[in-house]
Amino acid sequence: MSRLRGLHFEPLWWSLFSAGGVCFAVFVPAVALVFGVLVPLGVIEVSFVELVGWYQGIWGLIFTGAVLCLPAFHAAHRIRHGLHDLKLGGGSTSAFICYGVAAVFSFTALWAWFTF
Amino acid sequence: MNVQTRAIEVTRYSPERDKEPYLQRYDVPFDESTSILDALNYIKEHIDATLSYRWSCRMAICGSCGVMVNGIPKLGCKDFLRLYDHTPETPIRIEPLAHFSVERDLIVNMDEFLTHLEAVKPYIIGDNVDTASLPAEASLQSPAQLSRYQQFANCINCGLCYAACPQFGLNPEFVGPGAIALAHRYNLDSRDHGKTERMPLLNSKNGVWSCTFVGFCSDVCPKGVDPAAAVNQGKVDSAKSMLIQLFKGSQLQGEHQ
Ligand code: SF4
Ligand code: FES
Repeated sequence: MSRLRGLHFEPLWWSLFSAGGVCFAVFVPAVALVFGVLVPLGVIEVSFVELVGWYQGIWGLIFTGAVLCLPAFHAAHRIRHGLHDLKLGGGSTSAFICYGVAAVFSFTALWAWFTF
Repeated sequence: MNVQTRAIEVTRYSPERDKEPYLQRYDVPFDESTSILDALNYIKEHIDATLSYRWSCRMAICGSCGVMVNGIPKLGCKDFLRLYDHTPETPIRIEPLAHFSVERDLIVNMDEFLTHLEAVKPYIIGDNVDTASLPAEASLQSPAQLSRYQQFANCINCGLCYAACPQFGLNPEFVGPGAIALAHRYNLDSRDHGKTERMPLLNSKNGVWSCTFVGFCSDVCPKGVDPAAAVNQGKVDSAKSMLIQLFKGSQLQGEHQ
């Protein structure tokens, strides 16, 4: 049997969606809490220089993956299946657009980290 | 004695006579123990003998009495009039199961589910061994082996989960919650060797991957099967199966091969 017979991309999108779901549930709220509430309110203080230092190291890469890339693919998958549910698409064109936007977004975020 | 009555609206449809289905209203006497099925039986016996619907066991075992009650899939014999609002102005609405084609009144074409069920081979597939020649211990299972699939074995093929599934409503080719739960049940059985035969269908787009984890199937299941869990465990299995196929060029082997 050909090793490609019957294969399709759905498991790949679903894996990214699942991983992104965990990130959305765990890391995104934490980041929103810290940088959206606690820092502006002055509850905790972070220096910009320190942040830049972290971002340049492995923490920056983890941040990029867990808070930007994977949630982007999670959102793309949701939107694509939402379009299908609303009978507005969901086929290969919407897949191309949704995952394409997530991919471009992720590449940009990774590129920003590499070149920072 | 003062007998309480309850207003009921039932979908009527006869393909030879009616252009489209319509609702007919009946008033039915009821007490604490009157089920939806009892109400339908009362209508058929005392008011209108032409009403058509399915039932058999009246104890939530045969799975034939599924209907929509106020828009929710229910077994007629396991749902009671007392659970619904008591004003005559708001009749209880009984309709045929959603997402299936209607043959007459409350009777739907169950083949639309049963062909999917048949396709997943919901039975133990042996190892080409003549089971009669085996000693009885050969098919013994430990409690742990039994508990892996027992929950999924409670399915009575009633089809309520198909009426609850919006993805089946959009795409009738979707294998669907009940059939996937039973495929999973046999895939998890230590006596079964048929997983390789079941995986290609489950792996396909109309297999587990049509599910978007709405979860309403598990809410409406009258036997606590939790088909949504089966489908989503099936996604993990399917992803593994496809990865193995990609790298090794062969389908996922059953657990015991
Ligand atoms: S899984 Fe539950 S709702 Fe679905 S057919 Fe089986 S018993 Fe009925
Ligand atoms: S009559 Fe058998 S399940 Fe309701």
